[in-house]
Amino acid sequence: MAALLERERTFYTAHEAEWMTAHPGRFVVVKGERLLGAFDSMEEALAAGAAAFGLQSFLVRRLGEKQAEVNIPALTLGLLRADPQHPAGRSGS
Amino acid sequence: MPILNIQLAAQDPSGNQIPPLVALQQRGPVVQVSVSVEQNIAQQLLAQGVPLPAPERGFALIDTGATSTCMDEAAAARLNLPAIDVVTIASASHASTQQNVHPIQIEVVGLPITISAPRAIAAPLAAQGLVVLIGRDVLQHCTLFHNGPAGSFSLSV
Repeated sequence: MAALLERERTFYTAHEAEWMTAHPGRFVVVKGERLLGAFDSMEEALAAGAAAFGLQSFLVRRLGEKQAEVNIPALTLGLLRADPQHPAGRSGS
Repeated sequence: MPILNIQLAAQDPSGNQIPPLVALQQRGPVVQVSVSVEQNIAQQLLAQGVPLPAPERGFALIDTGATSTCMDEAAAARLNLPAIDVVTIASASHASTQQNVHPIQIEVVGLPITISAPRAIAAPLAAQGLVVLIGRDVLQHCTLFHNGPAGSFSLSV
């Protein structure tokens, strides 16, 4: 699936420091090159985004929060169905 | 605090019963769930008269190794979920990929247990027979007890 929100992420990066000064720790909602607002909680930010944009995509980030590294070994290493009790047979044996 | 108690039951391809401890070892802690759009978004949409897509049902695997909850990307597309961010997932086997983040609500089928996952990552889970991978962002609010010898687990939310 293609990644979305490229304009919003670029706009956020360009304005993050400025918004951080005005709204530290709050959740911002960005659509296109427009800041909808800063909110006290994720729930409020989602409600405001949906009220304004319905089911369209919009960016929600918490100011000052570092983008945490995502680590999902079962997915990235393909381990969801790994079973060392039943190793694959050797070809030609 | 609602508590989910599950003892796994399964059959082999010949129809023979598999002991619960083997079923839990093979399948992991899985639970039937129904996934829909996050409740704060759903309330706004209903207020606007926008019909909500029917929830997606399937199995969720509780994965203590995952930092974040994931949702099957095809199911997310069927639910017409809005993306609220994009994250990069590293992979040992191929280049890192960018995946959308969606706000979802997970309900345990048949029980009054509702879990909010406002930042679920889209991932190809359907091939694994899963609709959701429940990660530590959700589990940090839960108590999980894995009883291997009994082939059961408990989750309180």
